[in-house]
Amino acid sequence: MAEVIIIGGGPAGLSAAGTLAKAGIASTLLEQRATLGGAIHRQPVGSAKPVSVSTAARHRFERLMQGIATPLVRLRVSTTFLGIDGDGCMLTESRTDGTVAALKADAVILATGAVEKIRPVPGWDLPGVSTAGGLQVMLKETSTPPKGRILLAGNGPLLIALAAQMIRAGNPPLMIVEAGNPLAHPVAAFGLLAHTTLLREATGYTLDVLRSGIPWKRGACLTGITARDDALEATILHADGRTEIVAADRIALHDGIRENDIGLPAARNNGKPIILKAGDCRQALGVFAAVADGERAGSEAASLLRGNKAALTRFERRIDRQVAAQRLLAHIFAPALPLPPLSALPDDCTLCRCEGRTVGDLKALLTVKDGLSGREVKHNGRFAMGSCQGRFCAANTAALMAALRPDVPAPTLRDLTGQRWPVRPVSIAALIGAASNETTNDHEVRS
Amino acid sequence: MSDNTFLWQGQPIAFTAGESIAAALTAAGIMNFGPDMAGRDTRYFCGIGACQGCLVQVDGRLTESCLTPASAGLQVTNAGGTHG
Ligand SMILES: Cc1cc2nc3c(=O)[nH]c(=O)nc-3n(C[C@H](O)[C@H](O)[C@H](O)COP(=O)(O)OP(=O)(O)OC[C@H]3O[C@@H](n4cnc5c(N)ncnc54)[C@H](O)[C@@H]3O)c2cc1C
Ligand code: FES
Repeated sequence: MAEVIIIGGGPAGLSAAGTLAKAGIASTLLEQRATLGGAIHRQPVGSAKPVSVSTAARHRFERLMQGIATPLVRLRVSTTFLGIDGDGCMLTESRTDGTVAALKADAVILATGAVEKIRPVPGWDLPGVSTAGGLQVMLKETSTPPKGRILLAGNGPLLIALAAQMIRAGNPPLMIVEAGNPLAHPVAAFGLLAHTTLLREATGYTLDVLRSGIPWKRGACLTGITARDDALEATILHADGRTEIVAADRIALHDGIRENDIGLPAARNNGKPIILKAGDCRQALGVFAAVADGERAGSEAASLLRGNKAALTRFERRIDRQVAAQRLLAHIFAPALPLPPLSALPDDCTLCRCEGRTVGDLKALLTVKDGLSGREVKHNGRFAMGSCQGRFCAANTAALMAALRPDVPAPTLRDLTGQRWPVRPVSIAALIGAASNETTNDHEVRS
Repeated sequence: MSDNTFLWQGQPIAFTAGESIAAALTAAGIMNFGPDMAGRDTRYFCGIGACQGCLVQVDGRLTESCLTPASAGLQVTNAGGTHG
Protein backbone atom coordinates (compact mmCIF):
# COMPACT_ATOMS: atom_id res chain seq x y z
CA MET A 1 0.00 0.00 0.00
CA ALA A 2 1.41 3.39 -1.01
CA GLU A 3 2.17 5.86 1.77
CA VAL A 4 1.30 9.47 1.05
CA ILE A 5 2.08 12.23 3.52
CA ILE A 6 0.44 15.64 3.22
CA ILE A 7 1.87 18.64 5.06
CA GLY A 8 -0.60 21.34 6.06
CA GLY A 9 -4.25 21.21 7.10
CA GLY A 10 -5.45 24.24 5.11
CA PRO A 11 -7.76 24.10 2.07
CA ALA A 12 -5.02 22.72 -0.23
CA GLY A 13 -3.92 19.91 2.12
CA LEU A 14 -7.50 18.97 3.02
CA SER A 15 -8.62 18.83 -0.61
CA ALA A 16 -5.53 16.78 -1.57
CA ALA A 17 -6.28 14.25 1.20
CA GLY A 18 -9.95 14.07 0.20
CA THR A 19 -9.07 13.58 -3.48
CA LEU A 20 -6.63 10.76 -2.68
CA ALA A 21 -9.24 9.08 -0.46
CA LYS A 22 -11.77 9.22 -3.30
CA ALA A 23 -9.22 7.44 -5.45
CA GLY A 24 -8.87 4.79 -2.70
CA ILE A 25 -5.42 5.93 -1.57
CA ALA A 26 -4.63 6.35 2.13
CA SER A 27 -2.73 9.37 3.39
CA THR A 28 -1.43 10.91 6.60
CA LEU A 29 -2.16 14.63 7.02
CA LEU A 30 0.25 16.56 9.25
CA GLU A 31 -0.67 19.95 10.72
CA GLN A 32 1.47 21.94 13.13
CA ARG A 33 -1.45 23.61 14.90
CA ALA A 34 -3.93 21.77 17.10
CA THR A 35 -6.76 22.53 14.66
CA LEU A 36 -7.33 22.22 10.90
CA GLY A 37 -8.50 24.96 8.55
CA GLY A 38 -5.41 26.94 7.58
CA ALA A 39 -5.26 30.71 7.10
CA ILE A 40 -8.79 31.25 5.85
CA HIS A 41 -10.77 28.58 7.72
CA ARG A 42 -8.97 29.01 11.01
CA GLN A 43 -11.20 27.49 13.69
CA PRO A 44 -12.09 28.88 17.11
CA VAL A 45 -10.34 27.11 19.97
CA GLY A 46 -11.94 25.75 23.15
CA SER A 47 -15.38 27.24 23.70
CA ALA A 48 -14.74 30.41 21.65
CA LYS A 49 -17.53 31.28 19.22
CA PRO A 50 -16.62 31.19 15.52
CA VAL A 51 -16.27 34.57 13.81
CA SER A 52 -19.08 35.10 11.33
CA VAL A 53 -18.21 33.85 7.85
CA SER A 54 -20.12 33.84 4.57
CA THR A 55 -22.37 30.88 3.75
CA ALA A 56 -20.13 30.04 0.78
CA ALA A 57 -17.08 29.87 3.05
CA ARG A 58 -18.90 27.72 5.62
CA HIS A 59 -20.04 25.27 2.95
CA ARG A 60 -16.57 25.08 1.45
CA PHE A 61 -15.03 24.13 4.79
CA GLU A 62 -17.79 21.59 5.51
CA ARG A 63 -17.14 19.95 2.13
CA LEU A 64 -13.39 19.80 2.78
CA MET A 65 -13.94 18.23 6.22
CA GLN A 66 -16.42 15.69 4.79
CA GLY A 67 -13.76 14.70 2.26
CA ILE A 68 -11.33 13.68 5.00
CA ALA A 69 -13.91 11.99 7.26
CA THR A 70 -12.78 8.54 6.18
CA PRO A 71 -10.41 5.97 7.72
CA LEU A 72 -8.25 6.48 4.60
CA VAL A 73 -7.13 9.86 6.00
CA ARG A 74 -5.07 9.70 9.19
CA LEU A 75 -4.64 12.98 11.02
CA ARG A 76 -1.62 14.08 12.94
CA VAL A 77 -2.18 17.53 14.37
CA SER A 78 0.33 19.39 16.59
CA THR A 79 3.06 17.92 14.37
CA THR A 80 5.56 20.07 12.46
CA PHE A 81 7.23 18.91 9.26
CA LEU A 82 10.96 19.69 9.46
CA GLY A 83 12.33 18.45 6.16
CA ILE A 84 13.38 15.43 4.13
CA ASP A 85 16.72 13.89 5.07
CA GLY A 86 19.35 12.42 2.73
CA ASP A 87 17.66 9.00 2.87
CA GLY A 88 14.32 10.46 1.76
CA CYS A 89 12.82 10.16 5.26
CA MET A 90 10.34 12.81 6.36
CA LEU A 91 11.37 14.31 9.66
CA THR A 92 8.56 15.53 11.88
CA GLU A 93 8.50 17.05 15.33
CA SER A 94 5.78 16.59 17.90
CA ARG A 95 4.73 19.97 19.25
CA THR A 96 3.53 18.36 22.46
CA ASP A 97 6.77 16.71 23.58
CA GLY A 98 9.45 17.87 21.13
CA THR A 99 10.31 14.38 19.89
CA VAL A 100 11.41 14.02 16.28
CA ALA A 101 10.22 11.09 14.15
CA ALA A 102 11.33 9.87 10.72
CA LEU A 103 8.49 8.73 8.45
CA LYS A 104 8.72 6.90 5.14
CA ALA A 105 6.58 7.93 2.21
CA ASP A 106 6.15 7.14 -1.48
CA ALA A 107 4.75 10.59 -2.16
CA VAL A 108 4.65 13.87 -0.27
CA ILE A 109 2.31 16.78 -0.90
CA LEU A 110 3.53 20.05 0.60
CA ALA A 111 0.69 22.46 1.35
CA THR A 112 2.22 24.87 3.87
CA GLY A 113 0.36 27.99 2.67
CA ALA A 114 1.62 31.55 2.44
CA VAL A 115 3.46 34.08 4.60
CA GLU A 116 2.87 37.80 4.63
CA LYS A 117 5.19 40.30 3.01
CA ILE A 118 6.20 43.13 5.33
CA ARG A 119 7.95 46.29 4.11
CA PRO A 120 10.50 47.27 6.71
CA VAL A 121 10.00 50.67 8.38
CA PRO A 122 11.80 51.97 11.48
CA GLY A 123 10.13 50.27 14.46
CA TRP A 124 8.46 47.38 12.55
CA ASP A 125 10.07 44.97 15.00
CA LEU A 126 8.78 46.63 18.20
CA PRO A 127 6.58 44.66 20.62
CA GLY A 128 2.95 45.57 19.88
CA VAL A 129 3.56 45.57 16.12
CA SER A 130 2.44 42.37 14.38
CA THR A 131 1.37 41.30 10.94
CA ALA A 132 -2.31 41.79 10.05
CA GLY A 133 -2.55 38.02 9.62
CA GLY A 134 -1.13 37.58 13.12
CA LEU A 135 -3.86 39.81 14.52
CA GLN A 136 -6.43 37.84 12.52
CA VAL A 137 -5.18 34.51 13.92
CA MET A 138 -5.89 35.65 17.48
CA LEU A 139 -9.27 37.12 16.47
CA LYS A 140 -10.38 33.93 14.73
CA GLU A 141 -9.06 31.54 17.39
CA THR A 142 -10.31 33.40 20.47
CA SER A 143 -13.26 35.26 18.86
CA THR A 144 -12.19 38.27 20.95
CA PRO A 145 -11.14 41.38 19.05
CA PRO A 146 -7.70 42.81 19.88
CA LYS A 147 -8.02 45.39 22.67
CA GLY A 148 -7.27 49.10 22.51
CA ARG A 149 -6.55 51.41 19.59
CA ILE A 150 -5.49 49.31 16.61
CA LEU A 151 -3.93 50.78 13.48
CA LEU A 152 -3.89 48.68 10.27
CA ALA A 153 -1.36 49.69 7.63
CA GLY A 154 0.09 48.45 4.38
CA ASN A 155 -1.36 47.19 1.15
CA GLY A 156 -3.90 44.69 -0.10
CA PRO A 157 -7.38 43.26 0.43
CA LEU A 158 -6.54 41.56 3.74
CA LEU A 159 -6.51 44.94 5.53
CA ILE A 160 -10.20 45.66 4.84
CA ALA A 161 -11.13 42.01 5.40
CA LEU A 162 -9.54 42.19 8.86
CA ALA A 163 -11.11 45.61 9.51
CA ALA A 164 -14.57 44.22 8.66
CA GLN A 165 -14.00 41.25 10.98
CA MET A 166 -12.89 43.59 13.79
CA ILE A 167 -15.99 45.75 13.28
CA ARG A 168 -18.23 42.67 13.60
CA ALA A 169 -16.29 41.47 16.64
CA GLY A 170 -16.88 44.80 18.39
CA ASN A 171 -13.60 46.74 18.24
CA PRO A 172 -13.18 48.57 14.91
CA PRO A 173 -9.66 49.65 14.04
CA LEU A 174 -8.64 53.23 14.70
CA MET A 175 -7.60 53.81 11.08
CA ILE A 176 -6.72 51.86 7.94
CA VAL A 177 -3.70 53.13 6.00
CA GLU A 178 -3.75 51.65 2.48
CA ALA A 179 -1.12 52.32 -0.19
CA GLY A 180 -3.55 51.59 -3.01
CA ASN A 181 -6.78 53.34 -3.88
CA PRO A 182 -9.15 50.49 -4.76
CA LEU A 183 -12.13 52.86 -5.17
CA ALA A 184 -10.31 54.59 -8.04
CA HIS A 185 -10.53 51.53 -10.32
CA PRO A 186 -14.23 51.04 -11.11
CA VAL A 187 -13.47 49.66 -14.57
CA ALA A 188 -11.07 47.02 -13.30
CA ALA A 189 -13.44 46.21 -10.42
CA PHE A 190 -16.07 45.54 -13.11
CA GLY A 191 -13.86 42.64 -14.23
CA LEU A 192 -14.46 41.00 -10.85
CA LEU A 193 -18.06 40.41 -11.99
CA ALA A 194 -16.67 37.26 -13.60
CA HIS A 195 -15.65 36.09 -10.13
CA THR A 196 -18.94 36.23 -8.24
CA THR A 197 -17.94 34.86 -4.83
CA LEU A 198 -14.77 36.96 -4.70
CA LEU A 199 -16.71 40.08 -5.72
CA ARG A 200 -19.42 39.43 -3.13
CA GLU A 201 -16.84 39.10 -0.32
CA ALA A 202 -14.82 42.12 -1.45
CA THR A 203 -17.96 44.28 -1.74
CA GLY A 204 -19.17 43.14 1.67
CA TYR A 205 -15.89 44.11 3.35
CA THR A 206 -15.71 47.43 1.50
CA LEU A 207 -19.29 48.39 2.45
CA ASP A 208 -18.71 47.40 6.09
CA VAL A 209 -15.64 49.65 6.20
CA LEU A 210 -17.33 52.57 4.43
CA ARG A 211 -20.46 52.34 6.62
CA SER A 212 -18.44 52.19 9.84
CA GLY A 213 -16.92 55.60 9.18
CA ILE A 214 -13.44 54.37 10.16
CA PRO A 215 -10.83 56.63 8.51
CA TRP A 216 -9.73 54.60 5.46
CA LYS A 217 -6.67 56.49 4.22
CA ARG A 218 -6.05 55.41 0.66
CA GLY A 219 -2.89 56.28 -1.24
CA ALA A 220 -1.14 56.66 2.14
CA CYS A 221 1.67 54.80 3.86
CA LEU A 222 3.14 54.29 7.29
CA THR A 223 6.76 55.44 7.36
CA GLY A 224 7.87 54.73 10.92
CA ILE A 225 6.88 53.58 14.40
CA THR A 226 8.29 54.67 17.75
CA ALA A 227 7.47 53.49 21.26
CA ARG A 228 6.33 56.26 23.60
CA ASP A 229 5.27 55.63 27.19
CA ASP A 230 2.95 52.66 26.97
CA ALA A 231 1.87 53.27 23.40
CA LEU A 232 3.16 53.30 19.84
CA GLU A 233 3.32 56.32 17.58
CA ALA A 234 3.04 55.84 13.84
CA THR A 235 4.05 58.41 11.26
CA ILE A 236 1.61 58.39 8.34
CA LEU A 237 2.39 59.97 4.97
CA HIS A 238 -0.92 60.92 3.39
CA ALA A 239 -1.77 61.04 -0.32
CA ASP A 240 -1.63 64.86 -0.27
CA GLY A 241 1.92 64.87 1.12
CA ARG A 242 0.89 65.72 4.71
CA THR A 243 2.41 63.71 7.54
CA GLU A 244 0.44 62.82 10.64
CA ILE A 245 1.42 61.17 13.92
CA VAL A 246 -1.13 58.63 15.14
CA ALA A 247 -0.95 57.06 18.62
CA ALA A 248 -2.06 53.42 18.83
CA ASP A 249 -1.82 50.53 21.26
CA ARG A 250 -1.12 47.99 18.55
CA ILE A 251 -0.16 48.24 14.91
CA ALA A 252 -0.74 45.55 12.28
CA LEU A 253 1.28 45.62 9.06
CA HIS A 254 0.63 43.75 5.81
CA ASP A 255 1.99 44.15 2.29
CA GLY A 256 0.54 41.13 0.51
CA ILE A 257 1.39 37.44 0.71
CA ARG A 258 4.00 35.15 -0.78
CA GLU A 259 4.63 31.41 -0.97
CA ASN A 260 5.73 29.86 2.34
CA ASP A 261 8.28 27.65 0.61
CA ILE A 262 11.57 28.63 2.23
CA GLY A 263 13.37 25.53 3.48
CA LEU A 264 11.08 23.18 1.56
CA PRO A 265 12.53 20.62 -0.86
CA ALA A 266 12.02 21.19 -4.60
CA ALA A 267 9.10 19.43 -6.33
CA ARG A 268 9.92 16.29 -8.38
CA ASN A 269 7.66 13.73 -10.03
CA ASN A 270 9.99 10.78 -9.74
CA GLY A 271 12.26 9.35 -7.06
CA LYS A 272 11.29 8.36 -3.57
CA PRO A 273 9.44 10.17 -2.28
CA ILE A 274 7.69 11.97 -5.13
CA ILE A 275 7.33 15.59 -3.99
CA LEU A 276 4.42 17.79 -5.06
CA LYS A 277 3.40 21.27 -3.90
CA ALA A 278 -0.16 22.48 -3.63
CA GLY A 279 -2.02 25.67 -2.78
CA ASP A 280 -0.50 28.95 -1.67
CA CYS A 281 2.93 27.36 -1.03
CA ARG A 282 3.19 26.56 -4.77
CA GLN A 283 1.71 29.87 -5.89
CA ALA A 284 -0.08 32.31 -3.58
CA LEU A 285 -3.46 32.62 -5.31
CA GLY A 286 -6.02 32.46 -2.50
CA VAL A 287 -8.53 29.91 -1.39
CA PHE A 288 -10.33 28.97 -4.64
CA ALA A 289 -7.05 28.12 -6.31
CA ALA A 290 -5.87 26.30 -3.16
CA VAL A 291 -8.86 23.93 -3.25
CA ALA A 292 -8.43 23.26 -7.00
CA ASP A 293 -4.68 22.84 -6.63
CA GLY A 294 -5.14 20.37 -3.75
CA GLU A 295 -7.39 18.30 -6.03
CA ARG A 296 -4.81 18.61 -8.80
CA ALA A 297 -1.97 17.44 -6.54
CA GLY A 298 -4.09 14.58 -5.13
CA SER A 299 -4.97 13.38 -8.65
CA GLU A 300 -1.40 13.79 -9.84
CA ALA A 301 -0.02 11.81 -6.88
CA ALA A 302 -2.59 9.04 -7.45
CA SER A 303 -1.62 8.79 -11.13
CA LEU A 304 2.12 8.85 -10.46
CA LEU A 305 1.78 6.11 -7.83
CA ARG A 306 -0.29 3.96 -10.18
CA GLY A 307 1.86 4.69 -13.19
CA ASN A 308 -0.98 6.06 -15.32
CA LYS A 309 -1.33 9.42 -16.96
CA ALA A 310 -3.09 12.13 -15.01
CA ALA A 311 -5.80 14.29 -16.59
CA LEU A 312 -5.10 17.64 -14.99
CA THR A 313 -6.47 20.13 -17.50
CA ARG A 314 -9.75 20.73 -15.67
CA PHE A 315 -7.90 21.68 -12.47
CA GLU A 316 -5.46 23.85 -14.38
CA ARG A 317 -8.34 25.73 -15.95
CA ARG A 318 -9.78 26.54 -12.50
CA ILE A 319 -6.36 27.65 -11.27
CA ASP A 320 -5.83 29.87 -14.34
CA ARG A 321 -9.09 31.66 -13.55
CA GLN A 322 -7.72 32.50 -10.12
CA VAL A 323 -4.46 33.75 -11.62
CA ALA A 324 -6.60 36.19 -13.61
CA ALA A 325 -8.63 37.17 -10.52
CA GLN A 326 -5.47 37.80 -8.47
CA ARG A 327 -4.01 39.89 -11.29
CA LEU A 328 -7.15 42.01 -11.26
CA LEU A 329 -6.98 42.43 -7.48
CA ALA A 330 -3.31 43.40 -7.70
CA HIS A 331 -4.22 46.04 -10.27
CA ILE A 332 -7.07 47.41 -8.13
CA PHE A 333 -4.80 47.58 -5.06
CA ALA A 334 -1.66 48.84 -6.84
CA PRO A 335 -0.02 51.59 -4.74
CA ALA A 336 -1.50 54.93 -5.82
CA LEU A 337 1.84 56.71 -5.39
CA PRO A 338 5.35 55.23 -5.45
CA LEU A 339 6.20 54.01 -1.93
CA PRO A 340 9.32 55.49 -0.30
CA PRO A 341 12.27 53.43 -1.62
CA LEU A 342 14.02 50.98 0.73
CA SER A 343 17.26 52.88 0.08
CA ALA A 344 15.76 55.90 1.89
CA LEU A 345 15.43 53.92 5.15
CA PRO A 346 17.61 55.22 8.01
CA ASP A 347 20.71 53.18 8.83
CA ASP A 348 19.39 51.99 12.18
CA CYS A 349 16.22 50.44 10.68
CA THR A 350 16.16 46.67 11.29
CA LEU A 351 16.18 44.54 8.14
CA CYS A 352 16.77 41.09 9.64
CA ARG A 353 15.28 40.81 13.13
CA CYS A 354 16.55 37.34 14.06
CA GLU A 355 20.17 38.38 13.68
CA GLY A 356 19.64 42.06 14.56
CA ARG A 357 20.99 43.29 11.19
CA THR A 358 20.21 46.81 10.04
CA VAL A 359 20.12 48.81 6.82
CA GLY A 360 23.44 50.36 7.91
CA ASP A 361 25.01 46.89 8.38
CA LEU A 362 24.04 45.98 4.81
CA LYS A 363 25.41 49.23 3.41
CA ALA A 364 28.70 48.63 5.25
CA LEU A 365 28.97 45.10 3.80
CA LEU A 366 28.41 46.36 0.28
CA THR A 367 31.23 48.93 0.47
CA VAL A 368 33.76 46.06 0.22
CA LYS A 369 35.66 46.20 -3.08
CA ASP A 370 33.61 44.56 -5.87
CA GLY A 371 30.79 44.10 -3.36
CA LEU A 372 29.54 40.84 -1.95
CA SER A 373 27.19 38.33 -3.57
CA GLY A 374 23.85 37.32 -2.04
CA ARG A 375 25.46 34.21 -0.54
CA GLU A 376 28.30 36.24 0.95
CA VAL A 377 25.89 38.77 2.42
CA LYS A 378 24.19 35.82 4.07
CA HIS A 379 27.32 34.10 5.34
CA ASN A 380 29.58 37.07 6.12
CA GLY A 381 26.84 39.46 7.16
CA ARG A 382 24.46 36.98 8.78
CA PHE A 383 21.50 38.38 6.84
CA ALA A 384 18.76 35.74 6.47
CA MET A 385 20.84 33.42 8.69
CA GLY A 386 18.56 33.50 11.71
CA SER A 387 15.85 31.19 12.89
CA CYS A 388 13.13 32.49 10.53
CA GLN A 389 15.43 31.48 7.65
CA GLY A 390 14.90 34.79 5.90
CA ARG A 391 11.12 34.43 5.49
CA PHE A 392 10.66 38.07 6.48
CA CYS A 393 13.98 39.68 5.52
CA ALA A 394 15.47 37.89 2.50
CA ALA A 395 13.30 39.54 -0.16
CA ASN A 396 13.75 42.99 1.41
CA THR A 397 17.52 42.48 1.73
CA ALA A 398 17.75 41.35 -1.91
CA ALA A 399 15.66 44.36 -3.06
CA LEU A 400 17.78 46.81 -1.08
CA MET A 401 21.01 45.23 -2.43
CA ALA A 402 19.67 45.68 -5.96
CA ALA A 403 18.76 49.33 -5.24
CA LEU A 404 22.14 50.10 -3.69
CA ARG A 405 24.11 48.46 -6.50
CA PRO A 406 22.19 49.06 -9.72
CA ASP A 407 25.26 48.10 -11.80
CA VAL A 408 25.60 44.55 -10.35
CA PRO A 409 23.18 41.69 -11.23
CA ALA A 410 20.44 41.69 -8.58
CA PRO A 411 20.56 38.80 -6.09
CA THR A 412 17.51 36.55 -5.87
CA LEU A 413 15.66 35.61 -2.73
CA ARG A 414 17.05 32.07 -3.12
CA ASP A 415 20.64 33.43 -3.18
CA LEU A 416 20.00 34.64 0.33
CA THR A 417 17.93 31.82 1.76
CA GLY A 418 19.44 28.82 -0.04
CA GLN A 419 17.58 25.50 0.22
CA ARG A 420 17.88 24.72 3.88
CA TRP A 421 16.05 22.42 6.16
CA PRO A 422 14.85 22.02 8.89
CA VAL A 423 12.11 24.56 8.26
CA ARG A 424 12.46 25.56 11.89
CA PRO A 425 15.36 25.15 14.33
CA VAL A 426 15.35 21.84 16.12
CA SER A 427 17.71 20.50 18.77
CA ILE A 428 20.48 18.18 17.64
CA ALA A 429 19.53 15.86 20.51
CA ALA A 430 16.00 15.49 19.11
CA LEU A 431 17.36 14.75 15.62
CA ILE A 432 19.69 12.08 16.98
CA GLY A 433 16.74 10.65 18.90
CA ALA A 434 14.83 10.32 15.60
CA ALA A 435 17.64 8.38 13.97
CA SER A 436 17.43 5.72 16.66
CA ASN A 437 13.63 5.58 16.77
CA GLU A 438 11.64 3.06 14.84
CA THR A 439 10.01 4.65 11.83
CA THR A 440 6.30 4.07 11.82
CA ASN A 441 3.45 6.01 10.26
CA ASP A 442 0.74 4.15 12.13
CA HIS A 443 -0.35 6.18 15.08
CA GLU A 444 -2.80 8.98 14.83
CA VAL A 445 -2.74 12.23 16.81
CA ARG A 446 -6.07 14.04 17.04
CA SER A 447 -5.33 16.65 19.70
CA MET B 1 -2.45 26.81 41.38
CA SER B 2 -5.85 27.23 39.76
CA ASP B 3 -6.61 25.08 36.75
CA ASN B 4 -6.77 27.92 34.23
CA THR B 5 -3.48 29.68 34.83
CA PHE B 6 0.11 29.10 33.81
CA LEU B 7 3.18 30.86 35.14
CA TRP B 8 4.89 33.58 33.10
CA GLN B 9 8.19 34.63 34.69
CA GLY B 10 6.75 33.25 37.93
CA GLN B 11 3.46 35.23 37.72
CA PRO B 12 0.09 33.50 37.15
CA ILE B 13 -1.54 34.29 33.79
CA ALA B 14 -5.16 33.30 33.13
CA PHE B 15 -6.07 31.63 29.85
CA THR B 16 -9.16 30.24 28.15
CA ALA B 17 -9.22 26.66 26.88
CA GLY B 18 -7.25 26.08 23.70
CA GLU B 19 -5.82 29.60 23.55
CA SER B 20 -2.13 29.95 22.59
CA ILE B 21 0.41 31.14 25.16
CA ALA B 22 0.91 34.26 23.00
CA ALA B 23 -2.85 35.00 23.02
CA ALA B 24 -3.03 34.62 26.82
CA LEU B 25 -0.01 36.89 27.37
CA THR B 26 -1.49 39.44 24.96
CA ALA B 27 -4.86 39.35 26.74
CA ALA B 28 -2.95 40.03 29.99
CA GLY B 29 -1.45 43.13 28.35
CA ILE B 30 2.03 41.62 27.89
CA MET B 31 3.41 42.53 24.45
CA ASN B 32 7.12 42.17 25.13
CA PHE B 33 8.02 38.51 25.67
CA GLY B 34 11.47 39.39 27.02
CA PRO B 35 14.97 38.90 25.66
CA ASP B 36 15.99 35.95 23.48
CA MET B 37 19.39 34.23 23.66
CA ALA B 38 21.00 37.20 21.90
CA GLY B 39 19.31 39.73 24.19
CA ARG B 40 16.83 41.01 21.58
CA ASP B 41 13.20 41.44 22.59
CA THR B 42 10.81 38.76 21.40
CA ARG B 43 7.17 39.48 20.61
CA TYR B 44 4.15 38.12 18.78
CA PHE B 45 4.37 38.90 15.07
CA CYS B 46 3.21 36.48 12.34
CA GLY B 47 1.02 34.14 14.40
CA ILE B 48 1.78 31.11 12.20
CA GLY B 49 5.17 29.82 13.27
CA ALA B 50 7.00 31.52 10.39
CA CYS B 51 8.92 34.40 12.00
CA GLN B 52 10.32 32.73 15.15
CA GLY B 53 9.98 36.12 16.84
CA CYS B 54 7.72 34.86 19.64
CA LEU B 55 10.00 32.19 21.10
CA VAL B 56 9.65 31.44 24.81
CA GLN B 57 10.71 28.56 27.03
CA VAL B 58 7.90 26.26 28.08
CA ASP B 59 8.96 23.95 30.91
CA GLY B 60 12.52 24.53 29.76
CA ARG B 61 11.93 23.82 26.06
CA LEU B 62 12.28 26.61 23.46
CA THR B 63 9.10 26.92 21.40
CA GLU B 64 6.85 29.33 19.48
CA SER B 65 4.30 30.88 21.86
CA CYS B 66 1.94 31.48 18.92
CA LEU B 67 1.65 27.75 18.16
CA THR B 68 1.69 26.34 21.68
CA PRO B 69 -1.66 26.06 23.47
CA ALA B 70 -1.60 27.28 27.08
CA SER B 71 -2.24 24.64 29.70
CA ALA B 72 -2.55 24.67 33.46
CA GLY B 73 0.63 24.81 35.46
CA LEU B 74 3.06 25.38 32.56
CA GLN B 75 6.20 27.26 33.54
CA VAL B 76 6.79 29.80 30.80
CA THR B 77 9.86 32.04 30.77
CA ASN B 78 11.52 34.27 28.21
CA ALA B 79 13.67 32.65 25.53
CA GLY B 80 16.87 34.06 26.98
CA GLY B 81 16.22 32.27 30.24
CA THR B 82 16.47 35.37 32.42
CA HIS B 83 14.04 35.62 35.31
CA GLY B 84 12.36 38.65 36.75
C1 LIG C 1 -2.63 36.04 7.05
C2 LIG C 1 -3.38 35.54 5.86
C3 LIG C 1 -4.73 35.86 5.73
C4 LIG C 1 -5.44 35.44 4.62
N1 LIG C 1 -6.75 35.78 4.49
C5 LIG C 1 -7.42 35.38 3.38
C6 LIG C 1 -8.76 35.74 3.16
O1 LIG C 1 -9.36 36.46 3.99
N2 LIG C 1 -9.38 35.31 2.02
C7 LIG C 1 -8.72 34.52 1.09
O2 LIG C 1 -9.29 34.12 0.06
N3 LIG C 1 -7.47 34.16 1.30
C8 LIG C 1 -6.80 34.58 2.39
N4 LIG C 1 -5.50 34.24 2.55
C9 LIG C 1 -4.89 33.42 1.54
C10 LIG C 1 -5.01 32.03 2.10
O3 LIG C 1 -3.72 31.64 2.43
C11 LIG C 1 -5.69 31.08 1.13
O4 LIG C 1 -6.95 31.52 0.82
C12 LIG C 1 -5.82 29.65 1.66
O5 LIG C 1 -5.95 29.61 3.07
C13 LIG C 1 -4.63 28.91 1.18
O6 LIG C 1 -4.76 27.58 1.51
P1 LIG C 1 -3.50 26.65 1.70
O7 LIG C 1 -4.04 25.33 2.10
O8 LIG C 1 -2.64 26.75 0.52
O9 LIG C 1 -2.67 27.31 2.90
P2 LIG C 1 -3.08 27.60 4.41
O10 LIG C 1 -4.51 27.80 4.55
O11 LIG C 1 -2.18 28.67 4.88
O12 LIG C 1 -2.69 26.26 5.17
C14 LIG C 1 -1.36 25.86 5.40
C15 LIG C 1 -1.35 24.98 6.64
O13 LIG C 1 -0.07 24.37 6.75
C16 LIG C 1 0.33 24.39 8.09
N5 LIG C 1 1.80 24.33 8.09
C17 LIG C 1 2.66 25.26 7.61
N6 LIG C 1 3.93 24.85 7.75
C18 LIG C 1 3.88 23.64 8.34
C19 LIG C 1 4.87 22.70 8.74
N7 LIG C 1 6.19 22.93 8.55
N8 LIG C 1 4.45 21.55 9.32
C20 LIG C 1 3.11 21.29 9.52
N9 LIG C 1 2.14 22.14 9.16
C21 LIG C 1 2.52 23.29 8.56
C22 LIG C 1 -0.23 25.68 8.62
O14 LIG C 1 -0.34 25.65 10.03
C23 LIG C 1 -1.56 25.77 7.92
O15 LIG C 1 -2.61 25.18 8.65
C24 LIG C 1 -4.78 34.65 3.67
C25 LIG C 1 -3.43 34.33 3.83
C26 LIG C 1 -2.73 34.76 4.91
C27 LIG C 1 -1.28 34.40 5.06
S1 FES D 1 4.60 34.92 15.99
FE1 FES D 1 5.82 34.34 14.29
S2 FES D 1 6.49 32.37 14.93
FE2 FES D 1 5.13 32.92 16.50
